[in-house]
Amino acid sequence: MTQQVEAVAVRPPVPHGLIGRLRRRPEGAIVTLFIVVQICCIIGGLLFPDDFRYLSEANIRVLLKSIAPLGIMALGVGILMIAGEFDLSVGTIYTFAGIVVATLAADVPGPGGGEGISPFIAMFIGIAIGVAAGILHGTIAIRFAIPSFIVTLGAMLVWKGATLLYNGASSVRFRPDDSFEAIFGAEFGLVDASFIWFIILAVVFYFILHHHKLGNHFFAVGGNKQSAIAIGINPTKVKLIAFAIVGGCAAFSGVIAMTRVGSVQPGGGLGLELEAIAACVIGGAALMGGRGSIIGVVLGTALIYTIQDILLLLRAPGFYFDMFVGGLIVLAAISNQVLRPRS
Amino acid sequence: MTATMPTTAERRAPAAGTAPPLYEARNISKKYGNLQALDGINFHINAGEVIGLLGDNGAGKSTLIKMMSGVVRPDSGEILIDGKPTRITSRHDSQEAGIETIYQDTALVDSMSITRNIFMGREITNFLGFMRHRKMSDTAVSVLDSAVHISGIDDPDKEVGLLSGGQKQAVAIARAVYFKRRMLLLDEPTSALSVRETERLLDYVANLKHEGVASVLVTHNIYHAFQVCDRFVVMSHGKAVFEIDKAHTTIDEITKHVIMT
Repeated sequence: MTQQVEAVAVRPPVPHGLIGRLRRRPEGAIVTLFIVVQICCIIGGLLFPDDFRYLSEANIRVLLKSIAPLGIMALGVGILMIAGEFDLSVGTIYTFAGIVVATLAADVPGPGGGEGISPFIAMFIGIAIGVAAGILHGTIAIRFAIPSFIVTLGAMLVWKGATLLYNGASSVRFRPDDSFEAIFGAEFGLVDASFIWFIILAVVFYFILHHHKLGNHFFAVGGNKQSAIAIGINPTKVKLIAFAIVGGCAAFSGVIAMTRVGSVQPGGGLGLELEAIAACVIGGAALMGGRGSIIGVVLGTALIYTIQDILLLLRAPGFYFDMFVGGLIVLAAISNQVLRPRS
Repeated sequence: MTATMPTTAERRAPAAGTAPPLYEARNISKKYGNLQALDGINFHINAGEVIGLLGDNGAGKSTLIKMMSGVVRPDSGEILIDGKPTRITSRHDSQEAGIETIYQDTALVDSMSITRNIFMGREITNFLGFMRHRKMSDTAVSVLDSAVHISGIDDPDKEVGLLSGGQKQAVAIARAVYFKRRMLLLDEPTSALSVRETERLLDYVANLKHEGVASVLVTHNIYHAFQVCDRFVVMSHGKAVFEIDKAHTTIDEITKHVIMT
C-alpha cells in the first residue's frame, strides 16, 4: 500500500491511450503531422479537383516516383544518426557510385573499347564502393577520435573531386539491359520499381533497427556511448556497421535514381546529404543520437516530397520549397521537444 | 598463501582449508604516468560479503574498482577468482566472472526503455538474433517486482530518462540480479540519490547479501557504509592502509583512519 502511494508521489503517471502513446514515441510528431497534412491535401483535392490535382493519378504517380532516391539514402543516414554519427558525404557517394556503375556498364566506343560489364555486376561494385567508403570514413573518425561531421565533410569534397577525376565534368548515359530495367526501373500501376525497393529496404531496416539486437546496439551506442561500453557493447564495431549501411544506401540510391533518369550528372547528388538529414530530423531522429525510427524516416521523406508536390500544384516558385522545408525542420525539432513527456 | 607478504590484507586472508575468496587481488600496481594509482595493493572479498571501500579523493578507490571490472589493466599483480588465477582485462572477462559494476551514472541509456536497458548487450533473441520482446518485457517486470521491489515503475516500456535517480539505480541493480552476478561493484552509488532512495539502495545491497551476492561499496559517507558493510578497507595513496571487521570497530575509529591517512 505504501509503495503505491510513493509511486504517485515519485512521478506523475505517463499519459496513456492513443495521445499518450504518440507522445511517448519518437515518431509521434511526424505521424501526427503527416496525417494532418494528408487529410488537408485530400480535402483540398476533393474540393478543388481542377485547381488542386493532388488526387489525380498522374500526380500520385509522380509523387511516389520521386520519393525513393532520397528515401533510400535517408534510411542509412537515419540509422547512422541513431548510432550517434553523421555522414555528409552521401550526396557525392551517390554520384560517384552512379558514375562508376554507368561507365562500367556502358559500351565503350573506339578501338580499345568493348562491351560493358553486366549492369548487375556493375551495381554490385558500386554498392561495394559505397560500403567501403562508409567503413573508411568511420574508421578514420573512430581511430583518430574526430567528429564524423568533419571527416565526412572532407570526404564529401574528396568524392566530389574523385568523380570529376574519374570521368570529367560530362554526364554519363545509363542504358541497362531489359532485365535490369525490369527489376529497378519498371512501373506497376501507380508505383514504380524504385518505390518498391524503398519499401523493401524500409521493412528490412525496420526489422534490423527495432527488432534485431544489432538495432538495440545502435540505439545504445548513440544514446550513451559510455554506458554501452560499460555493459560490454563494442561501439567501434556497431558504428562501423552503421557507416557501412549508410555508404551502401547512398550508392544504391544513386543507381536507383540513375536508372529512372537514364543518365547521371557529376554534380547531381550534391545537397542530398542535407535533405536526407532533414528527412531524419523531421521524422524524429535526434541530432545527438539514440532516438529515431524507420517509420519516422519514411514519413519524413514522404512529407518533404508532399510539400514539394503541394507547392508545384499551387504553381509556387521553387524557392518556396526550400523555405517550407527549412521551416518544417525547425518545427519538427520543436514539436519533438514539446510533445515528449519530461522527467 | 603463506606469510610471504605480511600486509594487513594478506594476514586477513582466509586460512588454508576454508573456501577461497570469491575474488582476490594480490600485489596489484597501476601507474598513470608518474601517478602511482595502485601501489602493491592486496584485496579480497568472500561470497556474500559487503565491503566498504573508503578513503579520501585520489586514494585509488575508483582505479581499484575499474581494475576489478576489467576496464583498467593492472601493470603487475595477480587476480584470483575462487582461488584460481584469472585474467580480467575487459568487461567481457569480468562479466564471465560474475562481476557487475553499478556506476555513479548507473550505465543506463536514458533514451531507451527499461526493458531494453536491462537486456542491453545481452538481448534475449531467437537464433537469427531477433529480439523476443514479449519475453524480455515479462522478465523485466518480474525481476523489477521480485528482486528490487521498486515502486513507481509501472511500465517496463518507460524510458529510463523519465525515472528518478533511485529508480535508475533499481533498474541497474535489477539488471545485475537478473544476470546472476556474484559480486556488485558500487562506485559512489548514493551521490545522486535522495535520502529515501539511498535507504532503499542500501536495503537492496543488504538483501542481495542474503542471496549470496557480494558487494563492494565505494563511498565517502561512512554512515552509509556502516549501515550495510561487514568489513571496511581504508585506502590511501594506492594502498590498503587499514582493514577491520565491523564487529571490532566504531564509526569514530574508521572516520579517524580515513582522515588521518
